[in-house]
Amino acid sequence: MSAKEVLLKRLSDGVVDMEEDDVAEAAQEYLDAGYPAFDGIMEGLVDGMNRAGQLYEEEEYFVTDVLLCSDAMYAGLEILRPYLPEEAGETKHKGVIGVVEGDTHDIGKNLVKIMLETAGFDMIDLGRDVPLRKFVDTAREEGAEFICMSTLMTTTMGGMQDVIRILEEEGMRQQMKVMIGGGPVSQKYADKIGADGYSQNAVEAVKLAKRLLNITNDGLGMR
Amino acid sequence: MEGKEADRPACICPGGMMNMVTEELMEEVKVYLPEAHTDARKMAELAKAVYARGCFENYGVPFCMTVEAEEMGAIVDMGTRIYEPHVVKYVINSVSEFEKLSPVDVKKGRAKVVLDAIRILKEETEDVPIVGNLTGPVSTAGSVMEPVVFYKELRKKNKEAHAYMEFITDQLTAFGRAQIAAGADVIAISDPSGTGEILGPKYFEEFAVTYINRLLDSLQKEKMGTIVHICGQMSPVYREVDGIHSNVLSFDSVVPMKEAREHLKSRVLMGNVSTYALEFADQEKVKTLTRGCVKNGSDIISPACGLGMKSPLANVQAILACLKEV
Repeated sequence: MSAKEVLLKRLSDGVVDMEEDDVAEAAQEYLDAGYPAFDGIMEGLVDGMNRAGQLYEEEEYFVTDVLLCSDAMYAGLEILRPYLPEEAGETKHKGVIGVVEGDTHDIGKNLVKIMLETAGFDMIDLGRDVPLRKFVDTAREEGAEFICMSTLMTTTMGGMQDVIRILEEEGMRQQMKVMIGGGPVSQKYADKIGADGYSQNAVEAVKLAKRLLNITNDGLGMR
Repeated sequence: MEGKEADRPACICPGGMMNMVTEELMEEVKVYLPEAHTDARKMAELAKAVYARGCFENYGVPFCMTVEAEEMGAIVDMGTRIYEPHVVKYVINSVSEFEKLSPVDVKKGRAKVVLDAIRILKEETEDVPIVGNLTGPVSTAGSVMEPVVFYKELRKKNKEAHAYMEFITDQLTAFGRAQIAAGADVIAISDPSGTGEILGPKYFEEFAVTYINRLLDSLQKEKMGTIVHICGQMSPVYREVDGIHSNVLSFDSVVPMKEAREHLKSRVLMGNVSTYALEFADQEKVKTLTRGCVKNGSDIISPACGLGMKSPLANVQAILACLKEV
């Protein structure tokens, strides 16, 4: 293994092992050695986060684990990102994400955001208890291509349908993909309210977003 | 409730997180949320209506899971007729700051409203079990501080997290004991944030099960029934769930009752008619699901989660009607 590979593995393993401090340290050593930031992010940090996502799918890792892995990843990103070369012309796919009005449960939403960011999407996070119109307004202002909504409560599920209705009223439904998720939500509910897709967890959400936007795997990179 | 044989399963909905109030019900009795969250008389009248209109065979208060957090200092938005109350401002930033929380004073605020409502129900009704509700320890802990930070600190500040959980559990114990003293026949604990899916088996046992049991064990023993409701998939944590000391275990609709019955052979199980079906399907579908629950081994039939406010009353009443038909 080359010195670079050793450092990449340390970055990746550090994310999987939730070692925030060691990831930051390894990222600094990696930069100091003069290796390109882009590889460090993709083959180190993102690789580690994808492995964590895999462990989550296999039920080896749980939500709290993935949250700590993401902390480690973001610690490394903060150090490496400023050293990415500016590349003109390349734009990232942009999405708006939030928990619908009336609900404040945002763990699932945070996880979906993390995995989408890891996959290279530019996510605008509206947080929780988000007024329904704000999803639409933000998507328009930011030129987003898709909206992700979640809720953990039956009482607030109806808001998702309202957002789709507002999109229709504003004539934006055609160019906007809508993905939904959360405890009481199902594929059946997505079909009923006319959402473009439902995903059961954060890993599935990434696959869904790529499918809806016709993105092949090599078209993305975390910036 | 004590695992005894009855001629048919009971049909209950505890209240608390397991909301059983709907818009139609409020219209019928002209008592409304959010006012009933802060007014003992209104709270009791709404609880009475649930039984009187043939929805469920119990009374239950309160209708939200923010009372404990509010009494400890969190700012709560009381919601609207259709949105339930929720915390809008936390009190602390880390588990290690728990000494800044106000202990729950059952003689004040909404804790007192709930107790007064229980006293009214005890005085004015008979023969219908009164369920007092508590927010579970993990969910309460994640209601007075940012839950993401809380979850991370279970690992990062493990010792402090335990001290924090002890404090939280003491507050819940005080509130629970006061509910029993006021006349509650059953205590239902809902801990939706303490799921096996979020915590994983190790932390589920270390934090959810440990403190739910500590709370259960410190409630009065005499003639008390206890229900614990856990959200989410049980498959990673059946063994741990079986260690919970409650009389009854309740699950949401993602858990197949048949699977739960197989893993928890000796337990009294409650559940789990889909609240989605209750809101969007018709009475026949609700009856089919109800029969399915009975057949697959549920001992007490109840909605799988809190009812959506727009659920048609006829659908809600269909559960009990179906059980009486058998």
